[in-house]
Amino acid sequence: MAAPEEGQFLKQANSQSTRGLLRVIILCLIAGAAISSRLFSVIRFESIIHEFDPWFNFRATKYLVQNGFYSFWDWFDDRTWHPLGRVTGGTLYPGLMVTSGAIYHFLRFLSLPVDIRNICVLLAPGFSGLTAFATYLLTNEMASSPSAGLLAAAFMGITPGYISRSVAGSYDNEAIAIFLLVFTFYLWIKAVKLGSIFWGALTALFYGYMVSAWGGYVFITNLLPLHAFVLICMGRYSPRLYVSYTSWFALGTLASMQIPFVGFLPIRSSEHMSALGVFGLIQLVGGVDFIRAQLPSKQFQTLLRTLILVIFVVAFGGLVLLTVSGVIAPWSGRFYSLWDTGYAKIHIPIIASVSEHQPTAWPAFFFDLSMMIWLFPAGVYMCFRTLSDEQVFVVIYAVLASYFAGVMVRLMLTLTPIVCVASAIAFSQILDTYLNLKSPKVDVKENASSEPAKVVAAAVLPDGLRSTRNPLVGIYSYASKLTVVGSASIYLMLFVLHCTWVTSNAYSSPSVVLASRLPDGSQHIIDDYREAYYWLRQNTADNAKIMSWWDYGYQIGGMADRPTLVDNNTWNNTHIATVGKAMSSREEVSYPIMRQHEVDYVLVVFGGLLGYSGDDINKFLWMVRIAEGIWPDEVKERSFFTPRGEYRIDDEATPTMRNSLMYKMSYYNYNSLFPAGQAQDRVRNSRLPAEGPQLSTIEEAFTSENWIIRIYKVKDLDNFGRDHQSAVSFDKGHKKKRATKRKGPRVLRVE
Amino acid sequence: MRSVSFVSSCLAALSSFAVAELNLSQPLLSRQVLSSSFRPPPVFKNAHLVRMTNLDKAYARETINVIIENIDNKPQTKYYLPFDASLISKVGGFEVKDKKAPEKGPFKVEIVEYDTESSTEFYLIHLPTPLAARGQQTLSITYSILSSLSPVPASIGQTDKQYVQYTFSAYTPSAYETEKQKTKIKFPNSDVPDYTTLPADLNAENKADPQKQGSTFTYGPYHNIPAGAQQSVSVRYEFTKPLTHASLLERDIEVSHWGGNLASEERYWLVNKGASLKNHFSRVEWQKSSYMSPPTSALKILNLPLHPGALNPYFTDDIGNVSTSRFRPGKKEALLELRPRYPIFGGWKYSFRVGWDADLSSYLRKLKGDSYVLKVPFLEGPRIGEGLEYARVNLRVILPEGAANVKYSTTVPIIASTTTLHKTFLDTVGRTSLSLSAINVVDDLRDRELIVTYDYPWTAGLRKPIVITLGVFSLFAVVFVIGTLDTSIGKKKTA
Repeated sequence: MAAPEEGQFLKQANSQSTRGLLRVIILCLIAGAAISSRLFSVIRFESIIHEFDPWFNFRATKYLVQNGFYSFWDWFDDRTWHPLGRVTGGTLYPGLMVTSGAIYHFLRFLSLPVDIRNICVLLAPGFSGLTAFATYLLTNEMASSPSAGLLAAAFMGITPGYISRSVAGSYDNEAIAIFLLVFTFYLWIKAVKLGSIFWGALTALFYGYMVSAWGGYVFITNLLPLHAFVLICMGRYSPRLYVSYTSWFALGTLASMQIPFVGFLPIRSSEHMSALGVFGLIQLVGGVDFIRAQLPSKQFQTLLRTLILVIFVVAFGGLVLLTVSGVIAPWSGRFYSLWDTGYAKIHIPIIASVSEHQPTAWPAFFFDLSMMIWLFPAGVYMCFRTLSDEQVFVVIYAVLASYFAGVMVRLMLTLTPIVCVASAIAFSQILDTYLNLKSPKVDVKENASSEPAKVVAAAVLPDGLRSTRNPLVGIYSYASKLTVVGSASIYLMLFVLHCTWVTSNAYSSPSVVLASRLPDGSQHIIDDYREAYYWLRQNTADNAKIMSWWDYGYQIGGMADRPTLVDNNTWNNTHIATVGKAMSSREEVSYPIMRQHEVDYVLVVFGGLLGYSGDDINKFLWMVRIAEGIWPDEVKERSFFTPRGEYRIDDEATPTMRNSLMYKMSYYNYNSLFPAGQAQDRVRNSRLPAEGPQLSTIEEAFTSENWIIRIYKVKDLDNFGRDHQSAVSFDKGHKKKRATKRKGPRVLRVE
Repeated sequence: MRSVSFVSSCLAALSSFAVAELNLSQPLLSRQVLSSSFRPPPVFKNAHLVRMTNLDKAYARETINVIIENIDNKPQTKYYLPFDASLISKVGGFEVKDKKAPEKGPFKVEIVEYDTESSTEFYLIHLPTPLAARGQQTLSITYSILSSLSPVPASIGQTDKQYVQYTFSAYTPSAYETEKQKTKIKFPNSDVPDYTTLPADLNAENKADPQKQGSTFTYGPYHNIPAGAQQSVSVRYEFTKPLTHASLLERDIEVSHWGGNLASEERYWLVNKGASLKNHFSRVEWQKSSYMSPPTSALKILNLPLHPGALNPYFTDDIGNVSTSRFRPGKKEALLELRPRYPIFGGWKYSFRVGWDADLSSYLRKLKGDSYVLKVPFLEGPRIGEGLEYARVNLRVILPEGAANVKYSTTVPIIASTTTLHKTFLDTVGRTSLSLSAINVVDDLRDRELIVTYDYPWTAGLRKPIVITLGVFSLFAVVFVIGTLDTSIGKKKTA
């Protein structure tokens, strides 16, 4: 943190190159700090891919590296969404995988055989260094003080709001997208400032890269037009804006349409219409501007009025027509949930069931941004003071991103860059003011006294006011300067402490591997997920279909390398609801569903023994809700609650709950671990019924060491054509139940 | 029959391939094809033959001590030992020594066949000194038969005892008439519920056949058994231990002169060939029984003893680090305790890799000039009481870039060896790497050594620093040239 201050000190140094060199060194150190603060999990655990989505990206990258770019592009994956399959090549953002693949092949070219897994794990930290650099560039365009850029880079490097998505191993689209976002904005500002086609084209190029990397590109697609629109409204239209916007839009839209997943969306979906609209508008404004230069003003007024009217009517009518006729796609569900936070919960439970789509809680802002949360408004205010073209951009970005970050936890990520930029502007202003050791000279005093206002004031006011006694207004004493600078540095240090603490505690666990401490203080690793996945990988048929809740689909695909029914790419709600129905129904209902989908194994996550709360029983209500959305007559959420409205798993659990496949699979055989009647679920803190559930259509195949993963094998049809219930009771030696009703009257055989 | 001929033709093709491109620093265990009318000439007689079959481990180990007598009137050097074609592909570690003078080292042996349609193949033993007419010599023939134990019943409960069956011929197969012979079988315990009893009249002493003494059974003695006679018997005994079988072991040894480091990496593909589980795996039962730790047919732990001074061990599999390993460095040996992610029951598989570093100076010695000699163990696998068998071992010794004139010698039978270039870590031409393959290796051969000699001129060590320096400088030059390019359209504005 001392680095920027040092840069400030040396501002006085005359040599341009010394300062340049220092700046390069400081930026390198910041990049180093950014990278190393993301390596907690690699050091504590290992170089491993985290969470859920990164496993898919990793698998796709391996596919790309092994089979080449074209087969990746045309990849039809029959090992997911069984039996539907997924056109993976056309339904993903390939930027991330292609980036890793390019790095991989480049290193191979240098004959450095780095494992593709290590490239994937370390891609996000590597790009965070670049993001810090891009933030430096962006801030330098905004602020006059050179220290602002360095401060912003340092903030960006270590702020938890960005680290949360870019620690080593979180190999997700955001890993490279945030760099691209910031860098595209930098290029855009540069283009607007210079009015250069070159920079506009570069903006388009990086915009295209961003489109290939992350669905959040829509943010850029809307922010840049909004910036242009606001500038036009403020009467700041200029040929520079025209050149940069049109070159960006034309080239950028073409570039974005090269991605199969995006395809024709830029001209068909509502999210992209604002960019198109502003493109039209800027042509008009440009045209009008040109005509104004040629025509007398009265004729021009008439012409303008008619033009505006006609164009508005035509454009609006065309838009409505196209939307109604279905050429332009209406807003998507995820988009609606940006405006109405309750929308998803009612209409699309599958979106609401993802925790990162929930609205942000207030403490999360402080948690992720720390002191920047109060520096941020100050920085935005400073931008208001001068309000040049690029500072208008900061203001718009700040307002929009703040709103979106409040709506969805995930979008905190887009807010973070601007918070860093704005806070750095504010903070560097403080430092620049108070680190200036020079006091005004005596001649200032003379000037002040010669000012007429001061003279008048001195005449009117008595000698009592301090400001009149000493006309030198400002804080010039070393003590006060030291106090302010000292407290500022303390804030900076606290910020570093906070960031490190948050990163180390909240964002550095791979979630595939759990860690606990043994009594002697040594680390004990709970590795149940990989134990079970590896068992599946080694000891089941290569095309054995695994049914599990969609959360684990990508991990099973990546680690167990087995086909799954549903996964984290939740494109088919009905298929997910089918799995939800199989999990939440009785065995007799589930078995035909599983047979129809050729399920060989069912995998459930159960945390009851260890107290691992992220297990399937806790997620169970979402399965029920999603299934109920499709089969409201067969699955009812209400019947999983007790009459008093409680969600229980003990003696008082409802019969529907206790007969559901999920409940049975979770607690099957569990009570034999305990003395009779003492079985305890440590997550829900309740004692289980004395008699455990019985299974007839599936059988336990594998249970991991701490019971977190339980795998069941779906039985084949009975050899004698019995149903499984009677087969099981026959094997146990129970008497066959007498059929209560004969099939018909007895008929005497006459022959 | 077809499969047998297929296997043998494959083997023949493989060995001919191996002969084709090879630096012949030592005679190979190659296959000699004889004419189809070939019968081993009846020039020998087995005066007395004792076969010991040891079933302590997860593979059968046989030792045949035989007094051979030349009944021809010319000195003879070729002694043939017949095997069934299906069996010969499982025979490993075949070695013949002179019983009276074992220090003279093993004799040269090779596999011969005379007819691809025939089910019999021979090991041809070359006696180093021709045996004079009427002369006698005592041979000690040892070999192991891999994958020879089959679990009966084929599926058992999780905590049940496992029984395995071993089938063999009570008469030791021989191409010559045998005057006196007997077969001793050593079981791991005395729980032998089933075994073939032979009629007493076959026995030379008219006693019950077999004779039991604790955990040792004796079939025989038999007198005057003609050449090629067989009498199939099978025994079934308790063996509640895993039948660990490595279908492939890849072992890399990388020598770094700069780092003074010897890096080893081994990749295993294990399978337990024991009885499969009758029901599925039950964690409850497993946890209950783990307190008592009774004998089990599951493989729970692999102890890998390394040479003292081994450093930085790792144990990973396809999906990352296996956290359940422990490393105990020690003065006498460094023990690497590997615990697979899950207990490996019969029919289950597990593949993994381990690796470690060691100080090069204890393995490498400089000879005069630029020559070096490297002495490394051929095999360093896990040490398991019940043994471990390897269907195939691919060993690769990666020497520094620029090493030349590579020669090797080892007492392990090698079926193929090649010298290629292996390009890694900023190499320009690639490192010289010596690849050796062996089939049917058992862990008894752990202590066998591999000696590699090679030339490595000191100038070769400077290649990499020079290349990197030049590369970095040219990068700077390119960046400088690009930086001076003017890409702007139109005239430069003058400020």
